[in-house]
Order: sequence, then C-alpha cells, then structure tokens
Amino acid sequence: MPRIYPQEQQPRVIHVPPLDVSAPRSMRRAGKGTALLLAAFLVALVYLVYVLVTRSAFYMAKSGQTGYGKVTDRKGDVLFDGTKPMSEYEAGHFADVGNLIGDTSGQMSNTVVTKNIELLANYSFLYGKNSGTVTLQTTISHKATRACYNALGKKNGTAVAYNWKTGEMLVCMSKPCVDPALGYDNIESMPSGSLLCKAFSPTVPGSTQKVSTLIAAYEQNGVDAVNAMQFSCSGSWVNATGGKINCHNPYGHGTQSLNEAFANSCNPFFAQLVQSSQLPLSAVIETYTQMGYSVNGQKVAPLTMNGLTIPAASTTLTDSTEFETQWGCLGQGKTLVSPYQLMLWQGAIANASGSAVQPYILASHTDIENRVTQLGTTTRTPQLFTRAAAQGVHDVEVDNAKKHYSGSLGAYTCGVKSGTAQIRMDGKEFENSLLTGFCLDEDCPVAFCVVIEERTGADISNAQFAKVLLDALRSEEITKKPAAQTTPAQGN
Amino acid sequence: MSRSNTNPVSHPLLLLLVLFAHTAMLLLVMLSFGLTVEVLKLSCIVLISDFVGAIILQFVAQEACTVDTVLLLVLGMSTIYQSCFGGLAFAMKHFIFGIAAFLMCQISYVLVRNPYRAEKLKPLWYGCFVVLIGAIFFLTGSRGIWIDLGFITIQPSEFLKPVFVLICASSIRTQLKKSEFHGWHFVPDNLLLLFCTAVIAGLQWYSRDLGSLPTFAAAAGCALLLRFSYLREKISVRLMLVLGAGVVFVAVMAWKLAPSYVQDRLHTDIWSDMSGSGYQQVKALTAIAEGGWFGKGAGNGTLVNVAASRTDIVFSTISEEWGLFTAIMTVVLVLFLPAALLTVPPRSYYHSGLALGVAAMFMVQMTLNIFGSCNLIPFTGVTIPFISQGGSSMLSSGIMAGFLKAAQAPVLTGRTAAQLRKGGGA
Repeated sequence: MPRIYPQEQQPRVIHVPPLDVSAPRSMRRAGKGTALLLAAFLVALVYLVYVLVTRSAFYMAKSGQTGYGKVTDRKGDVLFDGTKPMSEYEAGHFADVGNLIGDTSGQMSNTVVTKNIELLANYSFLYGKNSGTVTLQTTISHKATRACYNALGKKNGTAVAYNWKTGEMLVCMSKPCVDPALGYDNIESMPSGSLLCKAFSPTVPGSTQKVSTLIAAYEQNGVDAVNAMQFSCSGSWVNATGGKINCHNPYGHGTQSLNEAFANSCNPFFAQLVQSSQLPLSAVIETYTQMGYSVNGQKVAPLTMNGLTIPAASTTLTDSTEFETQWGCLGQGKTLVSPYQLMLWQGAIANASGSAVQPYILASHTDIENRVTQLGTTTRTPQLFTRAAAQGVHDVEVDNAKKHYSGSLGAYTCGVKSGTAQIRMDGKEFENSLLTGFCLDEDCPVAFCVVIEERTGADISNAQFAKVLLDALRSEEITKKPAAQTTPAQGN
Repeated sequence: MSRSNTNPVSHPLLLLLVLFAHTAMLLLVMLSFGLTVEVLKLSCIVLISDFVGAIILQFVAQEACTVDTVLLLVLGMSTIYQSCFGGLAFAMKHFIFGIAAFLMCQISYVLVRNPYRAEKLKPLWYGCFVVLIGAIFFLTGSRGIWIDLGFITIQPSEFLKPVFVLICASSIRTQLKKSEFHGWHFVPDNLLLLFCTAVIAGLQWYSRDLGSLPTFAAAAGCALLLRFSYLREKISVRLMLVLGAGVVFVAVMAWKLAPSYVQDRLHTDIWSDMSGSGYQQVKALTAIAEGGWFGKGAGNGTLVNVAASRTDIVFSTISEEWGLFTAIMTVVLVLFLPAALLTVPPRSYYHSGLALGVAAMFMVQMTLNIFGSCNLIPFTGVTIPFISQGGSSMLSSGIMAGFLKAAQAPVLTGRTAAQLRKGGGA
C-alpha cells in the first residue's frame, strides 16, 4: 500500500534526468576502479608500516643514531660491548675474536656486528632509543677459541668448528687478529690479514681436496669399485701429456689400495685416478659443482651464515690428462676452498648423509624489554653429494684417523684428512698444514678444519692443534644449548 | 541549490569534528611549546579559519559535504604541521595557499558540477593544455620545470594535472561520435587523449622530470580503460590481458631505456651512499625510526634541516614529530577525498571519469612520495596533496578536489530527457 505523507513531510524529489542504459554499469566501473586503487594503496600502506617497524632498528643502527648492546659467547662472556669502552676489559680479552665479531668502527665489513647491526641497536619502535641494552648471544665458545689462539703460539692459522648435529658454530678463530679494544691507530703496522677472518677466505686446500676427488670417484663408480682400485707410486708419476706429479715420499708408496693411498695422501695415486677412464672429467665437474665449487669461472653464490658471507670454493678443470687439472684435483694450483667450507663438507660426511646441517652463529637475541628471541634453528643444506659417497668417505676417514692419528688425537673417535698446501705469495714459497675432519663422540659432535700457516717441524702439528680444539670444546659441554642472556652479560 | 536530507551525518556535526580534531592537535602543540604568543596565533588562525570555512560552506551547501569537510580538516592539519616543523613559526605562505586551494575547490566545483556544460567546455580544457605545455616549453629554465617570476616560482606541470584530468573525462555522447579512416573506426577524443599523454611524456622526458609521469600515466590508463569498456556488459578477459601485457611491456621498456639519471635512482643503494645520493632517504627513514609510533613531539624534529623536508619527504617529517600513527592517519584522511565517491557515487559518466582520474592522480602521487622517501620505490620529487608545502601543488590539488565535489554533488539539469534520448547520456 503506498505510503501517504503529510504535505510538509513529503520527500523532496531531486530532478535527475534519465541516463543512457549503458551508463550505470560504466559508472559502477569507475567506483570499482576507485575502490581497487584505494584497496591497493591501503595494502601497500600496511606493508610499508610493517617494513618501517621491523627495519627501524637497522635504520637507527646504520645511521649511528642509537647506542649498541653486547655480543656474548654461548656462556655469556662478552665478545663485543657497545655500552662502554672495550678498553675497560682485561687486556687481550677480544684479541682472539676481533676479526670475527668485529665492532662498529667501520674498519671491517664481514663481521657478526656489522652484518647484524640492527639486532645490536638499543632501540625499539615503541620505546625509542637507548631505553635498554640488547644482547646478541652467539654459539661461539670463547674459551675454546682462546685455547686455539694460544695453542698456535707464534704461528698464524685458523681453527673453525661446529656441532654437526645442531649447526652451532663453536670456534671461528683466525690469527693474526685485530684487538678492537686497542683501536686502529696502528692499523698500518698490523700484521697482514688481522682484519680478516681467514676461516671465511678461500685458501689452497692441499690434500684435503682429495676428499672431494674421492667423492667424485665414489659417485661415478660406486664405493666398492673405487675401494678395489689399485695404482702404484714410485715417488713420482708422469701423466699422459708429460706432466710430472711428485709424491711427498720420494721413494714412493708402491702399489696401494685406496685406503692406503688416502692415508698416505699419495699424489700419484689420485692423479692416476683422475686420469683414468673410470673417472671422466665431466663426472668430477658435476660432483664438484654439486658440492658448491665454482668450476672454470662458473658463477656460484657465496655461502652465508647469519649475514656473514663466505666465497664459494673454486677450481679450474679443463683436461684430465693435463698437469693443471690433476694438480687442481689434488688441492694445489688454482684450487681454493675456505676452511669454513671444508668444515661444512665434513659435517655432511660425519652424518653420512651427504647433506650437512647448516651452521649458524647467532643463538638468541634479547631486546631492550628483555624479551628473548631464539635465532638459531637447525636446518640442512641441499644434498651436496650422495649418501653412499658420504658413507664411503666417512669410513675411509675414520679408518685413517684410527690407524694414523690415534696417538695425536687421543681417545676421540674421529675421521680426518690432512693436507699440505703449497703457497706462493709475494715471491715467497711456504707450506700451510691443514687437518679437516669430524669427531663422532656423543659429547663432542664436532666437524672442524684447522690450518697452521708456514708450519715447520718444530711447530705444533695439525693433529695436536685439533686435539686442543676438541679438548676445549668437550670441557665446554657443547651439547648443552646456550642459555639466553636475560640479565646483563658479564664481562671480565 | 538546496541542502541535502540524504546525508546520514549532518554538516554541522562534521564541522564540529573538524574543530575537535584541530583543537586536539593544537593542545598537543601547546604541550610542546607552552602557551606562547605563537601558539595562540596559530590556534586562533586555524580555529577562526574553521569557523569561516564552515560559514562559507553553509552558503555553498550541497547534497554531500564530505569533500569540503575533509578538505577543511586536512588544510588545518597541514597548516599546523608546517608551522611546527623544527620549531614554531606560523607557516603564513602555506596557510594562504591553503585558503587559495579551498577557494579553487569551490571555483572548479562550480565550473564542472554540470557535466553537460563541462563537456561543452572541452575545447577550453584543450586550450589550457596547449598554453601550459607552451609555458613549460618556453618559459621554464633550461630543461627545467619551474617559472621564476622573481617574487614567486610557479610549476606549470602541477596545473597540467587538473587540466589533464578534465581531458581524461568524457561523456557517452562523445564516445558515440566515431569517425572512420580507411575502414578504421575510432573516437577522435580518445585519439586526442592518447596524443596529449604522449606530449606530456615527451615533455617530461625533455624536462628531466619523469617523476610525475606515473601520475599522468595512471590517470590516462584509468580513463582509457573506462572509455574502452563503457558499452560492454562485462570487461573482456582478453582485453584485460592485452592491456595488462601492454602495461608490463611499456614498464619493462621504460625500465630498460630510462636515461642514466633515472637508472641511477633505480639502482641506488642508499645505505652504501649515506652522505651522497641516499642522504635524503637515509635521513627520512632514520627520522621515522626516531619518531616511533607517537613521535618526538611537535617542533622537536631534526629532519627539517634536510632539503625537501616540507615537500618530498614530508611524510617522514610528520612521522618524526607526530609519530608514524599520525602520519598514516593523515594519509588515510587525504584518501577520504576520493573515497567519498564510494559512499555517494557519481551520477553521470562524465563525473565518473573525472573522479577516477583524480583518485588515480592523488593515489599515485602519494605512493610516489611516501614509498619513494621510504626507499621502497625510486625516490622522485612529488608532493602529497594538501600536506606538502608548495603553492602550485596546493592549488592544483584544490582544483582536483573541486572535481571530486562536483562528482559527489552534481547539477544534472542541463539536458532534458528528450535531448538525452536523442544524443546519448553525459
């Protein structure tokens, strides 16, 4: 029934002329277009707010507008302190971790502090700047690091180790090392490499490279077939193109099995393996590439660990009958691998799966409101090599350690491979001693790589150095997770 | 005109809300600076302006009053912001341009409120376009964008925006006027629009002011989409795909062929060049971080010492002093202008195009300003409508606000039903 309005209450009729039949839909489209633009803008605005709130600590830290907190080791020992001058700590307190942990001076770029500066800013978007002190706890054992540093005596070198079960980085020491507490006034007179953590720098791997070559052989022929191979060594061997491969034993090792050659680190054996028709160069290249090498200049992304970047291993392999290629497969010449990556591969061998647990160095972050965020999680790398190859190398390394290193490594159940890298630098020739391996003991599940630069017979051996590392780590009870620091971290 | 009885919120109530918002802001200013003469001066001017504005709006009543109210609110807030940056000093010039923008809004409303008349005036809009292009080409400095009159500088490209929006809008009658050239049927007005867009692109390339190009491109894109689909029941998926592919192609080509100074901006890592090309953005981001959610307080910011703090990076300047929350709310408030059309939709095809063009202009402009200064997209020197300092920008934004008002409160009495049946709708 039509509604009847009193005269004074009748609704006013607005005169709107009739429109073209197609107009209403077209006009609605304009409305929809406006709504779409508005919605897109509002979504973008929400994203902007998210970015600003989550990245604001980075903005403050990068522009130096706020104070910085502390970096501690797994037990709470201070490794960097932004709240007071580091010179107030005991002399030499930071001398073994300076080039790993770094500081805010801007002198070093690839350090824990510079790569995670936003986590160190004493700032929150809600409470503003300097309203508390943040603590960034690492998985590093300062005690073990210092033990390694001291064990080197006057020598320079590197020790890098991680828990191959959890991924916690335990030691990452590189000597010479800058002491941030002393400042940089004497930067010109600092020993070369002081500002660089050499655990992350590719170096000549020496015979530790034979691990990679052996993996390639295992993947191509199977473990049993390779283990059954025999080649003879008379102190040197001339390859198909006339190149001469010398063995470190001038009298030769005679005819050897793979296990014997691995233990002897026999160059002629492995050179013959590389040249043999059973190991095509394409197979070696494929395995190396899978492991993360940059072969023949191929572009490979660097490895990363909590923002720290580690250049990928590299080598040049052109012809398996030529000296340079064989020399590269033996870990000399143009082959370069960082101690970190050597350690990572040992992690994949230790668990006999061919895939390593990804190392991490940041354990937790305590913000200015004392809220703790766990940063370290156990993840795995992609498959670096096959499970069968990993198991094969695992057994060979364990056999090697049992037969040849039980004296120097003590009671640890280990697998190892040693190496001697021939270095030519600035017109000077010298040899670096390397040992890479893993420990299988329940209380010390560690994969490691140690390097002693310019080692002579009178110096500590690589195995003794490794034992110092393992002893220090075992005493640190590394299987216990680092306890987050919710109270001010204690320094010396 | 008569007052509307369809609006759920009464005009006086909205104006009371404006007064309340400005009073709250002025109290915060008082908390920062104390009860000083400057604070009293600012308070009096803003609140009296609100009263005067409200009285004027009583005489210029319309069916919907959202645009006017939001404009009044935004202009007052903008005056308070600009007066407090880095210390209290009444922003007289900005305030005057704010009044001018308000007046321009009313004038442009009167000009285009009748879509039939506005469409008839299209030759005039094309004439304005030619004059402005000529002014940019002949009167600005060497490949510059400013005309320096000594006592004032004018940016003619800003005035090109409302003129271009007027060119973008079209009536159905115009769309039905098709011409034929060797069997090819086309709408002359659409070709003219494409030509004008190309002229603007070419001129901006010449003037090295490609920053504003996305705003014009967005308005042109919306207009063309609306024109190409006006008679269709549904927008064809194929058409959308073709248009989308075209947009992507143009964007990729522009990215690849951009001149070196644009390439530099596209690939700048501001954190590796904090004192060089990344200086403004680093300072802007740091200021937002320092301001946090609720800011350092009016007048306590330091970003004001950085160039373009009142224009290109004004979002950060507001964030630093008033907090990110207030800055976001201010942006949302500006969005209320185009959003008002969603509650009271345009009643003519011409006004629909006009409103969509302004919405595209405003939103792309704000996107370029805010996201550029926050380093999410390349940084370009464009303004936030009504918030950034700058007379040309303020006036052109005021004119465009008038278009929105016209779309919201049109006068549709120019043509009779019989005429409409004969010649098509507006």
